[in-house]
Amino acid sequence: MERAGIPTALLCNLTSIAERVGAPRIVPTRGIPYPTGDPSLSAEAERAWRRRLVERGLEAVATAVHGPTIFPMDAAPHGEQ
Amino acid sequence: MSVTSTEGGTGLTRLVHHVRAVAVGERTAFSSGTLTVSPAEAHAVLTDPALSDVRVSWASPGDPVRIVKVLDAVEPRTKGPGGGGIFPGFVGPALPQGRGITHVLRGAAVVAAGFLPRAQEAVVDMSGPAAPLSPLGATHNLVVEFTPAEGAAWEAVYEALRKGVLALAARLAEAALGAEPDEVDELPGLPARDDSRGLPRVAAITNLQTQGTFKEVFVYGRSFGSTALPTLIDPNDLDDGAVVSGQLGHPSLKNPTWVFQNHPVVAALRARHGVDLLCAGVVLSPEPVDATNTELVSAHAARLCRAAGFDAVVVTKEGGGNADADMALKMDALEDLGIPTVALYAEMAGVDGTGPSIVVPPTRATAMVSTGNYDERLSLPAVERAFGGDRVDVAGAPAIDAMELPTAVIYSSLSPLGWGRLTCREAV
Amino acid sequence: MTARVVHYINQFFAGLGGEDTASVLPASREGAVGPGRKLQQLLGDDYEIVATVWCGDDHAAGPDVLPAIMDLVRAAEPHVVVTGPAFTSGRYGLACARVAAASAAAGLTVVACMHPDNPGLDEAGTAPVVASGEVARQMGPSLETLAAAVRKVAAGEPLAADDGRVGKIPRRNVTVDQTGAERAVALVLARLGGDREATEVPLPRFDQVTPAQPVDDVSTALVALVTEGALVPDANPDSLESARATRWLRYAVDGRDALPAGEYRSVHGGFSTVWANEDPHRILPLDVARQLEGEGVIGRLHGEYLVTAGNGTSVGNARRFGVEWAADLRRQGVQAALLTAT
Repeated sequence: MERAGIPTALLCNLTSIAERVGAPRIVPTRGIPYPTGDPSLSAEAERAWRRRLVERGLEAVATAVHGPTIFPMDAAPHGEQ
Repeated sequence: MSVTSTEGGTGLTRLVHHVRAVAVGERTAFSSGTLTVSPAEAHAVLTDPALSDVRVSWASPGDPVRIVKVLDAVEPRTKGPGGGGIFPGFVGPALPQGRGITHVLRGAAVVAAGFLPRAQEAVVDMSGPAAPLSPLGATHNLVVEFTPAEGAAWEAVYEALRKGVLALAARLAEAALGAEPDEVDELPGLPARDDSRGLPRVAAITNLQTQGTFKEVFVYGRSFGSTALPTLIDPNDLDDGAVVSGQLGHPSLKNPTWVFQNHPVVAALRARHGVDLLCAGVVLSPEPVDATNTELVSAHAARLCRAAGFDAVVVTKEGGGNADADMALKMDALEDLGIPTVALYAEMAGVDGTGPSIVVPPTRATAMVSTGNYDERLSLPAVERAFGGDRVDVAGAPAIDAMELPTAVIYSSLSPLGWGRLTCREAV
Repeated sequence: MTARVVHYINQFFAGLGGEDTASVLPASREGAVGPGRKLQQLLGDDYEIVATVWCGDDHAAGPDVLPAIMDLVRAAEPHVVVTGPAFTSGRYGLACARVAAASAAAGLTVVACMHPDNPGLDEAGTAPVVASGEVARQMGPSLETLAAAVRKVAAGEPLAADDGRVGKIPRRNVTVDQTGAERAVALVLARLGGDREATEVPLPRFDQVTPAQPVDDVSTALVALVTEGALVPDANPDSLESARATRWLRYAVDGRDALPAGEYRSVHGGFSTVWANEDPHRILPLDVARQLEGEGVIGRLHGEYLVTAGNGTSVGNARRFGVEWAADLRRQGVQAALLTAT
């Protein structure tokens, strides 16, 4: 999809694999069975978390990157540039 | 031929007796290359409350025979009457060995075969296309079949077999104590710290499976646990059975006790010792099952190699994909410390060989040896007799039938320790 | 005796048109067509392109058309089948790879040609593939590589990297003189000597993914939600597989601002779907995405979501889905995507 010119944020848990296969925009999630969720939170808190995650993903598609880049929730984006 | 003892020295003298023929008789004896086994004596050695019955039979190279449900294999060796210290922690006291004299019956093996839970179906053919793929295809195998005692726990059955097979292996080798050896190998000790030959010190990191009962390896008789840290051992200790296999998974990727006794990487290093390298040691390492321990063990292994002054390392594994990940981490940790490394990988490239070869390759190291494709299929002919069981479940067939099997099922065929001559090449 | 060659190309190189004719069904003509003429020239008199077979790229030689294509190929009784060059065209590359794979599986001598980055590369089965240039402008040199490869495969010779061979090369077990341990020790001495290249197992080639340009302004962008979490309407009406998925699906979210539990579920076989089924938004974040759209953070949310099951999916299929999703989303003007993975 990136090759076709559609910047795509990959929301996933196993970020090292995502990096290894070359996904350019990676947003780490909290668990494999719930990429945009966190069952340990209350429903309200979980929704707020989900919103932040999606916002991070939107940031990622709006950011120029040169190689696999991770956009963590609470830190600056990092990756081998 | 005179035999010089290196007692007091740091090396080991290995007296090798070739077994050219085998027989069954009233007394266990070795003479002029023929090894005779007394079933009554064998039973006495194998007796244990956890086993209600044991049967021993010979399966020799070229016989139209198949051994199924192969468990462990042990090369008959002894250091003297009663064992003399062989198989420390099992037959002998748990103390380092690797010095003095060791007698070896080369070309023979004591092989346990039969059902145990969690054991993956493993096959050895004594003739046909699969025979050359297993070390046991070329040895006269004293196959030990067994019936568990009623109510015996499987762990107790497995333990009884292990002890019995080791004791029997030592007992067989005792028969050669008075015989002239066919070969005498003087195995050097570890190189001195101030060795001035300017040759690179090359070591072997030997990963051992450490996943608990039925999936563990014993060092000096103790299960080498998953939270153990990598440890340095004199290669000569391996010759005296310091490492004994207790794992029953992945048949083609199996390192039986026999292969640890004849550690192929150590043998390859010894062959060039003093020529273009120094055989500098062996590091035994667990293969942890969780990410945190794996990272620690790999980092520690690299540090240990650095501290020991190794210039290069050959890494081997035991098991499948998880073990691959472990090797990849170790290779990368070593490369990061400037220590070149090579690892032995088996490929899982699919039936037609076009799949990705390696599940988890290293990212910074690049040198890998391939011990063959797990998935490639073999056609095995029908045989006249089978030991160890009546059926080969993975083929859904009676054990004596002709069958098609993936290379994955042939015992030790993809030898992670590098015993085999199998590899992968690109097809036309 | 001249060797009979059958050449597979697409609708564009067959001169039928571009995207507008991308759905034409398989057809063939005697002799060389389009780039086949130059290929014929390069091959010389010992070879004759006896037939050219083409199909519209939209089909990507999928199962609905592949049998018909192979019928046409076989009808011309080829000694060698040649497919491409497909350059970096994803659907064309897929088609070339599949026709090549089917030819090889049928015992025909075949060679395909495409750029090493073409997503179709890994679908060629056991058929050899040689590298073309990146764009059609490089047709000349690409055909030269292809012609040389055709001569080699026709003569039964193996193709190697020097011949431009790319992609998966089937690996077979062989017995050699030295043990694995001996080879490992030799290899480590070579490493010590500075050889950083030598290895018996080539490292897997992961795609070089050139990142897309970022979206200028998300607040005016059309954004799609896509997932490999196998989220489908509760009845799984289109039977999405739980593992080794061979297809992907689309479901409307236009006018919806939520995916209620009970109406949607995950059929993914690779993880416990309990949490996803409790709240499908844990797989596809429609609720917050709709909220963000309402607030003007996202320009517009795409009217449907695309879904497959990423469990044991073959690399080939996964690549194909990516190419097809890209085509589908682009056709509808989608400018960015959020892909949730499990």
